[in-house]
Amino acid sequence: MNSTPALLNRILLTVLGLLLLGSGLLLVMLATVPAVAPWWHSWSAAAWAGITELFSSTRFPGGPESWLWIVMALALLALMGLMVAWIAQQGKGRSNLLAAEYDPGEAPGDVRIGGGVAEQALKQALEGRPDLAGATITTYSVKGSPALKVRLLPRQGVAPHLLAAEVSELIRALESVVGKEIPVLIHIGAGARTRFGRAERVR
Amino acid sequence: MSSSVDNRRPDNGSRRDNGPDMRRVLYRETHSTRAAVSVAAAALVLVLAAYGVLESGVHAVGQPAWLIEPQVAAQRIVDLPAGITPLLLAAIGGVLAMLGLIFLLNGLLPGKRARHLLAGAGVEGLPVVVDDEVIASSLARRARLAANVTPEQVMVVVSQRQVLVNVRPTSGIPVDQDRVLDAVRDELDHMLLEPAPVPRVIVAPSGVIGA
Repeated sequence: MNSTPALLNRILLTVLGLLLLGSGLLLVMLATVPAVAPWWHSWSAAAWAGITELFSSTRFPGGPESWLWIVMALALLALMGLMVAWIAQQGKGRSNLLAAEYDPGEAPGDVRIGGGVAEQALKQALEGRPDLAGATITTYSVKGSPALKVRLLPRQGVAPHLLAAEVSELIRALESVVGKEIPVLIHIGAGARTRFGRAERVR
Repeated sequence: MSSSVDNRRPDNGSRRDNGPDMRRVLYRETHSTRAAVSVAAAALVLVLAAYGVLESGVHAVGQPAWLIEPQVAAQRIVDLPAGITPLLLAAIGGVLAMLGLIFLLNGLLPGKRARHLLAGAGVEGLPVVVDDEVIASSLARRARLAANVTPEQVMVVVSQRQVLVNVRPTSGIPVDQDRVLDAVRDELDHMLLEPAPVPRVIVAPSGVIGA
């Protein structure tokens, strides 16, 4: 439900995987298959000659070093920046705003309802239930619009569809309080608390 | 049953038109995240790039290299497989290929989580995602009541397209396989899982004594 860039992750992982796999296989081939060595020598020597040529033709006027080194350092710095940006994209999307509307009433200004309202209200409503071992409610911002994720941890043997129907009622009540339809995702999950807790006997 | 599930599919996401794309959210919830692997991959590239920046920067200002001159390193790579024992070279290559395979498979495999969508939750069709474990324990309870055995005698395995109910009867008291199957099927019909699994009941030939 968060805004992790799923497709980007897949593409970048695939590209990086292919690169590493290719170079690794090449090294293994070089070590084990003797016929690969001459081919590698001819190919890499030609490539390396081209690169040295490039470096010697781009020297500083009057200096011994090529300015390509600076270009390379800058390019690698840019790559580092991109990698940091990629890491920063992971798992983002939690927000703290449930609804924000212009208030047409007498008082000037907007009305903003924080995510804590929904979280506290639903937590309170779910607290006393014997069939639940726990519940977490989080507010997300999915592409700019607020959404709720309700994670329920039922005890063993609880029928998930009945539980979901009852929680849907609660959410509808919450919507009538907030005065706005909120996209909600209900996730009924299992965890250590449900696995080792006592089973639900009476329903 | 599957047709009723199919009919329900389009209105899963369209109930709230103003909201975000629920289909996308549901896809996210039923497929595993690559965030951890991505962070690892990014960190790897980050470290390598940092070293590259250091060496090329040092070289650009005409200072001696920190670990190895880039030209020397390149020359050594060109000279491979000479200058290193084949065993070490193969080991390095193997490790690199392994790492690459892990990243590649993470990028390409579908990565489905053991979860189902639940279409049978009330009338308004809020999107509900259920872990297979929860489904299994609910079905096990139903099967246990139908077969009249203790919880330890029922084991349910829920996979993407199949529900397997194993029942070990109490010795001397036969278990009606069809009754258990009907009970499980009834529970599944109420859940309206998506994708819809096919239930199968296996009654063990040997019983349990003293249960």
